[in-house]
Amino acid sequence: MDPKNPINKLLDLLCFTPAGLLALVVLLVLPVVPPFNQEYLIRWLISAGLIASLSIGFDFTAGLINIVNFGYAAIMGLGGYTSAILADRLGLNPWFGMFMGALTAAILGLIIGAITLRLRGIFAACLAWFFGLALMGLATKMVWLTRGPLGMRVERLFDTASNVPYYYLILAMMVTVYVICKWVKRSRMGMAFNAIGQNMEAARTSGINPVFYRVSNFVLSCALAGWLGGFYAHFYGILTPDMMHTSKTVEILAVAYIGGRGSLWGGAAIAFPFILTMELVRSSLSNLPGLHLVIYGILLIVVMIYYPGGFAAFFDTHLRKPKNKVVNYFINGTAMENR
Amino acid sequence: MLLEVKNLNAGYGFLQILRDVSLNVDKGEYVCLVGPNGAGKSTTLKTIAGLVKPMSGDILFKGEPIGGLPGNQVARKGISFVSEEMNLFVNMTVNENLAMGAYTIKDKQQQKDRLAFVYDLFPRLVERRNQLAGTMSGGERKMLAIGRGLMSDPTLLLVDEPSFGLAPLLTENVFQSLDTLVKQGMTIMLVEQNVTKTLAVTDRGYVLENGRIELEGRSDDLACDAHVRKVFLGV
Amino acid sequence: MVEQAEKHLWARLLAWCRSLAGATVIGTIVIALIVTVDRGGYVLVNTIVTGGMTALVAMGLALTLGVLNIPMFAHGEYFMIGSLTAYYVFTPIKTYMETHPESILALWGPLVTIIAAMLVGAVAGVVSEVLVFRQLRQRSRENWVMNSFLLTVGLSVLMINAHQLFFGADFKGITGYFSGMPINIMDVYISKDRAIAFLLAAVVVTGFWLFMTYTRTGRAIRAVSQDETGALIVGIGLNGIMMLTMALSCALAAIAGASLLFMYPAYPSVGLEPLYMAWFVVILSGLGNVLGAVMGAFMVALLKVMTVEYIGSGWDFVVPSALIIVILIFRPSGIFGSEVRGVLDK
Repeated sequence: MDPKNPINKLLDLLCFTPAGLLALVVLLVLPVVPPFNQEYLIRWLISAGLIASLSIGFDFTAGLINIVNFGYAAIMGLGGYTSAILADRLGLNPWFGMFMGALTAAILGLIIGAITLRLRGIFAACLAWFFGLALMGLATKMVWLTRGPLGMRVERLFDTASNVPYYYLILAMMVTVYVICKWVKRSRMGMAFNAIGQNMEAARTSGINPVFYRVSNFVLSCALAGWLGGFYAHFYGILTPDMMHTSKTVEILAVAYIGGRGSLWGGAAIAFPFILTMELVRSSLSNLPGLHLVIYGILLIVVMIYYPGGFAAFFDTHLRKPKNKVVNYFINGTAMENR
Repeated sequence: MLLEVKNLNAGYGFLQILRDVSLNVDKGEYVCLVGPNGAGKSTTLKTIAGLVKPMSGDILFKGEPIGGLPGNQVARKGISFVSEEMNLFVNMTVNENLAMGAYTIKDKQQQKDRLAFVYDLFPRLVERRNQLAGTMSGGERKMLAIGRGLMSDPTLLLVDEPSFGLAPLLTENVFQSLDTLVKQGMTIMLVEQNVTKTLAVTDRGYVLENGRIELEGRSDDLACDAHVRKVFLGV
Repeated sequence: MVEQAEKHLWARLLAWCRSLAGATVIGTIVIALIVTVDRGGYVLVNTIVTGGMTALVAMGLALTLGVLNIPMFAHGEYFMIGSLTAYYVFTPIKTYMETHPESILALWGPLVTIIAAMLVGAVAGVVSEVLVFRQLRQRSRENWVMNSFLLTVGLSVLMINAHQLFFGADFKGITGYFSGMPINIMDVYISKDRAIAFLLAAVVVTGFWLFMTYTRTGRAIRAVSQDETGALIVGIGLNGIMMLTMALSCALAAIAGASLLFMYPAYPSVGLEPLYMAWFVVILSGLGNVLGAVMGAFMVALLKVMTVEYIGSGWDFVVPSALIIVILIFRPSGIFGSEVRGVLDK
């Protein structure tokens, strides 16, 4: 429990608490534990991991600077299509293509961020939404490039039928996304983000340049989405414009907000049990289509009314301050300010 | 007693501002509430007007408890509140603003009478009747705010900082109209920064400091009081 | 004296024409006429019908945004409720009409249908206000815009999928409310449904405008949207006004959904298109301006019809979005927007 302990130093560097590490270890061994070692369950886990990572990236904008990027799925789609098209037309290595996807998404993020600069929060959200709609329209209509609604076949990352390597890859990507976002949040920049999110005008008068911070926030969060979009493309092996649909953004948004805005980890923590339950409901009650999404909607409404802070706020107020020293270390780690 | 406030505690969220405030206003009186910045003068008026929920204590109007009622129901009982920010409807004309002031009055003839009364009191507003409230000068807006407050034919008028942000000459105008109203039998409770002026025109006053009533008495007595002179007038 | 008044009127008219709003309106009309000459009258008819209905949805959206301060994302779902209700009310009426062609229902059936849809829409609005938004309002008004926006997202997901759960995901449509030959005006054939839909939109918009301008309740709604505290001070009960506003705005969307049933069959996510069209309009025309919303609706409709006509269907997602983005860059408060409450950060 000594902060100087190398393990604690490493944990602190990666912004993990022992509890978070335990959760990660559980996720790591999950694919070999009996009920979860079936391929379809691993696919569910992968989609949960993808949603978890996306919700971290989404929360980076929504939670910190209080602007909902309502075109998030479309930006992810842009990354996916970029990577897929580069691999298809130029034979580019998909691993490299994923980073190219991140790059194009980052450029789009720069544009969106620059345009929405002066707009009030909700109108910035609308503008990002229109960007998303336009992107989806483009992907549908540019048939010569994307094959439109027919779907584009994409080369997969690993030359195996098993899903397990993908699972570990998405876990690694999730941790990377989390650590990057957390590092930025801990830095001076993160403090500026918080200031802008709470009160734009006050932040401006205290010498923070909102232009720079809002744009850089958008760029980073969009780049992460584009990178994850590359994973999406090379994992599912098929891309349709539907992946950019508003309902996909809503899915990410719901997980991020139910998890807890501004916490970054809340969405990731809630995504796995949540997505697994939803998939279970969907597959076991297939004669009631849409039921799982009805539950989704009700849950979002109830959480927003009664617990706007989401799971993270619940965790912070009720479980964060245990009396026992060992438990305290387990939950909070040695550093006071993070996770 | 027209208005009785007994042991009122109020504030915003966890922040308590008023502590055990008791005061009363009789019919036809011109009462003022003075005190330094942040003493809770505005909060007192807002609590009476139903815009701030009291934590404890009673507010009786014509012997009826009104504490905790929402603002619109308080307004219906006959209390009109002219706030510091005025809260005008900026995209409506002067005429429409005044018509909104008479929202609680159903009788068409009475509405007309009230309108004539207000235009009589503030002839300036007649010239501006079709202008949008948001495009008027500060003084005109203040007149409009008071006029709108009078449209509902209130028994008690609560006025918050009528001189705030106004040039001295306009302030004088506003004070004169309040005077006229009192002479016509209106009951007014006034909150004001300008202590000398306020104590000179009102009948009776309360001194509020740190959310408590420190002194009360006839205005001329208060103006001579050593404590008041020291705190507010720097003498 | 009269001459002077006339002169004054002319001066004002000229000034209006030179203002951005006037220029845009005149530009829109000119472009519409050019396109009509180029491609034929049906373009104009389509624009007018779509524009009228978009106006209904957009006015409702502007109303919730202005009065309740809720950026409504579920507004399309009230459109969907309207079309769903219309389908289930009109189908039995239609079967009855086929067996009794002389019955009085043949004429009044569609009207009954639309009124039923309007009522169901209003009830849905009141229910969502009381069960959802009022709950949040009573608990906390901190960060209200974002929180209420998320609530509407939840409502939207809930309603779309409840539709799928209870009524299925298939298209539930009708061929038309009225049978018979289309009306012929100057060689342009207009189906009776379209003509009636436009007339209905015109009547509702006019009625709504009169209601908001001249009635006591309409004024109270405007008062709440301009200054909530001020409204409270003069004795307006906020809860009642907010409930009424929700009922009105949802009823407007439901009317649009019901009267366009012949163009948009009822299916779970039918509301997405009217929703984003309405958001286009609201952003384009600025807030709190009923007439601006109507004009903006026709402009967006023209844009959409023209895109479909000249570039191809499917592009109507892309071109209007791009144009709105450009407009927002140069004029963030919208074309007809008042500066008092624009989209800009304060």
